[in-house]
Amino acid sequence: MSPPRALDNIRVVDFSWVRAGPWATRWLGAFGAEIVKIEWPENERGRLPSTTTPQHLETNLNTSGNFNDTNVNKKSLSLNVRSAKGLEIVKRLIALSDIVIENFSSRVLRNWGLGYEELRRIKPDIVYVSMSGYGHTGRHHHYTTFGPVAQAVSGLTHLSGLPDQPPAGWGWSYMDDTGGMYGAMCALTGLYHRNMTGEGQHIDLSQMVASVPLLGSALMDFAANGRGSRRAGFPPGNRAHWPGTPLLSNYRGPTVAPHNAYRTDPGGYNDWCVIVCHSDEEWRRLVAVMGAPAWAAAAKFATVTGRLQHQEELDEEIEAWTMTMGKYEVTGRCQSAGVRALPVQSAEDRVEHDPQLRHREMYVDLDHPALGQHKVQNAPFKLSETPASNHLPSPLIGQHTREIVEGLLGYSRDELRAGFADGTFWPAKRPRFDYMEEMLQ
Amino acid sequence: MSDTPGIDSSRPGPLTGLRVLELANETGQFCGKLLGDLGADVVKIEPPGGEPCRRLGPFLDDTPHPERSLSFWYYNTSKRGITLDIETADGKRLIARLAATADVILETFRPGYLTSLGLDYETLRQENPGLVMCSLTPFGQTGPWRDYLASDLLHMAAGGEMASSGYDATDVPDAPPIAPGGGNAWHMGCHFAYMAIMAALVHRSVAGSGQYIDASIHEACALTTEAAIANYIYRGEVLQRHTGRHHAAGPSPRTQFRARDGNYVCALVGGRLNPKYIAELADLLDTSDMAGDLRDPKYQDPAVIAANTSHIIDGLVADFIASLPAEEVYHRAQERGFTWGAVRPAEALFDDAHLHDRGFWKEVAHPELGRSFTYPGEAAIFNGSPWRISRRAPLIGEHNTDIFCGELGLPREELTVLAENRVV
Repeated sequence: MSPPRALDNIRVVDFSWVRAGPWATRWLGAFGAEIVKIEWPENERGRLPSTTTPQHLETNLNTSGNFNDTNVNKKSLSLNVRSAKGLEIVKRLIALSDIVIENFSSRVLRNWGLGYEELRRIKPDIVYVSMSGYGHTGRHHHYTTFGPVAQAVSGLTHLSGLPDQPPAGWGWSYMDDTGGMYGAMCALTGLYHRNMTGEGQHIDLSQMVASVPLLGSALMDFAANGRGSRRAGFPPGNRAHWPGTPLLSNYRGPTVAPHNAYRTDPGGYNDWCVIVCHSDEEWRRLVAVMGAPAWAAAAKFATVTGRLQHQEELDEEIEAWTMTMGKYEVTGRCQSAGVRALPVQSAEDRVEHDPQLRHREMYVDLDHPALGQHKVQNAPFKLSETPASNHLPSPLIGQHTREIVEGLLGYSRDELRAGFADGTFWPAKRPRFDYMEEMLQ
Repeated sequence: MSDTPGIDSSRPGPLTGLRVLELANETGQFCGKLLGDLGADVVKIEPPGGEPCRRLGPFLDDTPHPERSLSFWYYNTSKRGITLDIETADGKRLIARLAATADVILETFRPGYLTSLGLDYETLRQENPGLVMCSLTPFGQTGPWRDYLASDLLHMAAGGEMASSGYDATDVPDAPPIAPGGGNAWHMGCHFAYMAIMAALVHRSVAGSGQYIDASIHEACALTTEAAIANYIYRGEVLQRHTGRHHAAGPSPRTQFRARDGNYVCALVGGRLNPKYIAELADLLDTSDMAGDLRDPKYQDPAVIAANTSHIIDGLVADFIASLPAEEVYHRAQERGFTWGAVRPAEALFDDAHLHDRGFWKEVAHPELGRSFTYPGEAAIFNGSPWRISRRAPLIGEHNTDIFCGELGLPREELTVLAENRVV
């Protein structure tokens, strides 16, 4: 018998699309909630456009690899919520559910007639999590975001880069990932509160606003000391401090050197290893690992202030050593001597070469009816009694329409067929997938 | 404290009634803050003399002192603080008594350490079967890297963040991968740890029993690079770094443009160019009479648009942005439906009217200094059970008397003896 799941018997109505919302419900699904993803092919965003369809497959609504990884553990109900009949059906579903999640612009659900007041009328203790760009209140609630825009406006982008260069920013939608985290965190918190008090509520999450608490130290430095981040030596690349600039905290831990990325053999695009010494003792260990070269015995490198002041020379010398071997070998030699070092890892490195992620079973195969068998990402935590799991591949669009409409909501087969004919469950003129024809038999 | 507009601030937070023991360093303290600001009674247990991350800057008035670390202040709001040497016999006895009162224990010690003290989950749950205990460590409790040392930068390297972030060679030749700053490896680990703890608590609210959680920061970071893993798994692609925008398998149009005031604007234009977008873009650029040839009927033809992508993005859009301050571009574009934003430094957030409307900033009193300070507020507004900073970070051992004497019933004389012996 499979172990119990933390969210057994919890049902989530998931209106979310693209990345942040689906990343939130993915985790609720991993904990065992039944996620009913409401989709409509005419205005779908998340399955298409796809840049992650395997080269040998046709790109269509069911072949996006990233959609698969983002939407495991869910069911799909294709439904035109903008029709009166579709709205009635979704209200019946909400009445049987615990959580409603959406990541539309701030007024969309209310304009459909599904604002919190109406949701609460349908299901008094519903937990409603809205995940919009700027939130449902505040003068810019109608502004829109993508991850990179939320990151820019909130100050996250400005944390990354080299001094006197444009911001390097984050090379992906960090705030789609993290916005998704907060969506799941809010839903779980609201659910716990409901279980303890019997009360639901509307939780108003904003992707832009959620970014701001991630700059805590920089914001506090301004609030308490009046020190802004537009200053010489900030951001300091991979260093804790940029030599020749005022000796200030740059909000990434202790101000130490070495603290950088170093090229390793054979010098390819991702052949880098980072090394950090948090103390003189760790520095002496690194010197020993490097074979106690003559340059490292210089008095200027013996103290942290000396190493910070002479970082350019220090980093050149360390890199001359790291260039003599591969990044995993640098890592192994350093770590076995008690020196902080890890390789820069590409996606390929993480999936194929990282022994820790392999040991922890981070990437485990799952079959998908259109994509075939591929690895999907697992949870970064192990719960002893209710482990998170990937038990369902991402749904084909509308794959569970009959199961939900008939099995859960109690409509008849004739009503299902009528709904396909009148455009409630699938656009009447759009070609159906084979599995839809089968569900109408 | 400021109130969030429209919210009944007298209502308790969603985690009210929950008792959390936090034995966490800089890697896990944010998780305790997330719990505490939502109403949990978080008791931070520090070694006598204070948790070492009190030594992390920046410091108030640049005066290093364990009670003046601004990063410690920020990450330890809404907690009470006690000190305890858990390696002593008295310390073990007291923490076992505290554990019997706890709903959650959050700890960040190296794997095996608490077991060596007889304070492992299996032991603690004997007295408290509902206990949820989360160990948040760099690599988890098992595996070949289990005992490796870590840091924020190390996690950003091995987790894949650095491989995705940096510069186009045309912007900064020969640039290394660049780790985003701000301590976000700890944030990623704490977000996932919070989720796992809440899932365990939901389960407990139904089933009654607690459980043990083994959470890994490395895995949390490895999960937080959006589609990079999918690009590799489904297409075998390894992505390239680009200045201020998404990693990609190949070249992509730039999205970061320098404004008149030297700040940058993030304007996502490439990939969106179609006749409708061109018409809207012409309207936007014409607010400064800078639409150029965008109203030419030739742009009804997608092939012409494609051939002129660089002219539109690197010419017209770049010139428009260069003519205005970044904030002006941001609001002018957003008011017309463009998903653009100013690239701001942290301090600019204090002037953001939208954040003020949402009651985001909180005044937090530091009575021992006779001052209050403005703190960042909540990611999300809980309309039925508000988020709040219930108190500033604890001073070292500030609540020793309240908790050891008031709650555990220790006579004051005994606390004095324990203090003299550096147990507390």
